Amino acid sequence: MVLAMLHATVAQASEPGSNVVRDLIEGLSLEGIPLWVPPLAAALVAVSIVVALVSVVAMFSVWLERKVSGHIQCRYGPMRVGWHGWLQPIADGVKLLLKEDLVPKGADRVLFVVAPAFVLASILAGMAVIPLSTDYFFAELDLGLFVILAMTSTTTIGVVMAGWASNSKWSLYGAMREAAQVVAYEIPLGISLLVPLMVAGTFSLLEVSADQAGVFGMNWLIFRNPFMLPAFILFFVAILAETKRAPFDLPESESELVAGFMTEYSGIRWSFFFMEEYAAMFLYSAVGAFFFFGGFESPLSWGAREAFGADSLIVPLIEVGTIIVKSFALVFVMMWLRWTLPRVRIDQVMTMGYKYLTPLSLVCVLGAGTWELIWNLVLEG
Amino acid sequence: MSASGEREVMLDVRTQDMELNMGPQHPATHGVMRILCRVDGELVTGAQPHLGYLHRCAEKIGENVEWLQYLPYTDRYDYLAAMNNNLGYSMAVESVMGIEIPRRAQMLRTICAELNRIGSHLIAFGTYGLDLGAITPFLYAFREREWMMALFEKICGARLTYSYIRIGGVFNDAPPGWLSEVERFCDVFDEKWKEYVDLLMLNQIFIKRTANVGVIPAKMAIDYGLTGPLLRGSGVNWDLRQDIPYELYAEIVKDGAFSIPLGSGEHGTLGDCWDRFYVRVMEMRESVKIVRWCLDNIKPGPIIAEIPKVLRVPAGEAYVGIENPRGELGHYVVSDGGKVAIRCRVRGPSFVNLAVLEEVMVGVLLGDAVAIIGSTDIVVGETDR
Amino acid sequence: MDFKGIHDRLRAIQAPGLLGADEPREADPEVEGDKGRAGDPFVLVDPQAMPSFLECCRADSVLSFEMVIDQTATDPGTDEDHFWVNIQLLSLAHKHRLAVKAILPKSDPVMPTSALVHKTCRWHERECAEMFGITFEGHPDPRNILLPDDWDGNPLRKDYEYPEEYHGISCK
Repeated sequence: MVLAMLHATVAQASEPGSNVVRDLIEGLSLEGIPLWVPPLAAALVAVSIVVALVSVVAMFSVWLERKVSGHIQCRYGPMRVGWHGWLQPIADGVKLLLKEDLVPKGADRVLFVVAPAFVLASILAGMAVIPLSTDYFFAELDLGLFVILAMTSTTTIGVVMAGWASNSKWSLYGAMREAAQVVAYEIPLGISLLVPLMVAGTFSLLEVSADQAGVFGMNWLIFRNPFMLPAFILFFVAILAETKRAPFDLPESESELVAGFMTEYSGIRWSFFFMEEYAAMFLYSAVGAFFFFGGFESPLSWGAREAFGADSLIVPLIEVGTIIVKSFALVFVMMWLRWTLPRVRIDQVMTMGYKYLTPLSLVCVLGAGTWELIWNLVLEG
Repeated sequence: MSASGEREVMLDVRTQDMELNMGPQHPATHGVMRILCRVDGELVTGAQPHLGYLHRCAEKIGENVEWLQYLPYTDRYDYLAAMNNNLGYSMAVESVMGIEIPRRAQMLRTICAELNRIGSHLIAFGTYGLDLGAITPFLYAFREREWMMALFEKICGARLTYSYIRIGGVFNDAPPGWLSEVERFCDVFDEKWKEYVDLLMLNQIFIKRTANVGVIPAKMAIDYGLTGPLLRGSGVNWDLRQDIPYELYAEIVKDGAFSIPLGSGEHGTLGDCWDRFYVRVMEMRESVKIVRWCLDNIKPGPIIAEIPKVLRVPAGEAYVGIENPRGELGHYVVSDGGKVAIRCRVRGPSFVNLAVLEEVMVGVLLGDAVAIIGSTDIVVGETDR
Repeated sequence: MDFKGIHDRLRAIQAPGLLGADEPREADPEVEGDKGRAGDPFVLVDPQAMPSFLECCRADSVLSFEMVIDQTATDPGTDEDHFWVNIQLLSLAHKHRLAVKAILPKSDPVMPTSALVHKTCRWHERECAEMFGITFEGHPDPRNILLPDDWDGNPLRKDYEYPEEYHGISCK
């Protein structure tokens, strides 16, 4: 996973003039350093930025979740550690690092240790594809969305490994449910994403975002086709299931399976799973923001581009801010749903996935395609 | 589920049912109890409850301590509805003694017992949502329960195990302002009750999880000796407060102040988990009506009959059953005229209600098993005593 | 129906095992040391005929005791040589109760099981068996219910001695 990320970023970094960091390093480097060092160094810097970004996102999401859940439940959430508890995730992180490293007796040691790393690495690989602004990105891939979907699917392997290696029947249940659920909801996820793909015509996230600029930066994909809204709803339900969030949080259902596949994990290993969960939520929300809600584009970024010119420093910052706000809006909705709805039973989850969501998403694709055809005919004819 | 071709394949593959311990420590078993499930994948093929983890020999202690000293032990079997336990024991001893309870004491007893019923049903409501994954209703339920516990703290000093209702009456009169605060609680609770209905009871996902799950037909319920919401959820119109009234309930029923909610198979089959949950939620509202009746009719007066400090109960025996939030709580006391009971038997409704799990939990999915255990609303303190 | 009516009906239908009734009474001044009896009346039934008695009570439409509320046992004291087995019956249709008592000798506390007549008796009888040492013949599942499977002795007997230790834990 890390290798794939490195490769992508090295490939990117090797093109002259295309990588800010690489240029910086080349400018700073001494004579006589082999040619392959600056791109590699640039790639390593990029990788560490991705890891840092994911960590910050996870920490912020932890705080947000606790505050959101607190306020929904008529209480405050963390209030002591910093102003309104904003340092709480750091305190939690320190605590988790200091915990005893437990591997249960009879557990498959290798798989037990590798599983959380596997799961986190898949999400980090997906994150490398998400650009932060039109100038700040880690890897410009033509098949950006495809790579993201592929990378995030591999988290299932890690979860099943964790469930099996824990040597506990309850963990095994969580792992089996996860495998069944994720596989079932991959289908509506992919098919519902076909709708914006059809309308936008590209897999690449940068191009999709640029495509949605339009008037006042509001030519968002969701307004361009009547089937986009149902497609978005299906997409959202599918990502709830993919990220194992309520109402689909069976793999880690607290009241039935103690903690599902995560039962035997404690300390930093457990925090890897949680980082993965929040990073996945952010990742899928970012995908949703790019393919339905305009990516970097908003009236603010359009206005900044008009006012300050496309090359100034303000524009990328606003774009970064825009994408983060949009992603976290969707993350907030996911959290809101978690604390409101009860859990669906596993057979009901599967029924919903196969019998309802998949046909509905196919209908959306069909409808969207027909609409595009007719619209284009009308425009051209 | 399997076509004939699939069945041929299944015969070749040797599989074994897995034994799964919903062990003493488990978030969904409502206490320290072990249910040994035999599962085939996610399908439960057998369930065997194992009890005794919380057995504290209450009945043996009853034979070794004096009559008045036994009262705190009664709090601790169904610790979520301790007032009702006190009431049951006191009524059994009073029945053998044959004494009259002053009217104001009866009013206060009824108010406290019904408020405790609300509190107990709030926990049943909240923890059931928790079992099914809805975490927020639990906190809303506890918001109201905190107020109820504060009320009880004002009147008797304790929040969970009260020892307030004593043999002969109650031991402390309501402090000034208590009765009007109870009335305020009733008003606020009626508003919040609507929230509970909307948030959980009528939630589509909740209905899908609980309707048609764990159906207990009326005949099975009677055969297993089930009482309380389990029996009423199956449609049997039986409530001790109405059918064999005790304390003031005869008057309250005559005034038509409250009604008995029954399960009706509204969202599924009659006697499923949703019906039992519905009965509990509706009973909370009915308890508020009873409390209001008492508040309207309470008058000043003595609060306890004359009981000697060292009580000697005349020789004899009696069984008195009252309507606990979980069913019929029965006390069977035998006296030989001395300071200590010969036998102090507690018929805990949770103990009897639990037996039905052996039959009802077969052939359901694991998620349903959790829903069924939650709907029996057991307290292991009462199961084990 | 009050107790007298129930008792008369039981006699009228010749309920199997019915031995008599005991009602509360005042202390008899002529009998020395008689304290009288307070509380509730009960019927005395022959333990060996208990299942048929319960079946008869359920089947009769005037009595209609569909539910067994409680089944337990009592050890009246170390100087008594009998156990009591107490069953509380409840009729949902007619809203009356009946207390049933059967006397079992301590030397041979064996009686047929009522668990085949009322399923609720399964668990009640398991508890009586482990607490008093009463054997219920024909019980489908005679394991300990509240006590551990390897516990020695019957705790609710009046002459019960606690063991010195249990699996290394001292009991004194």
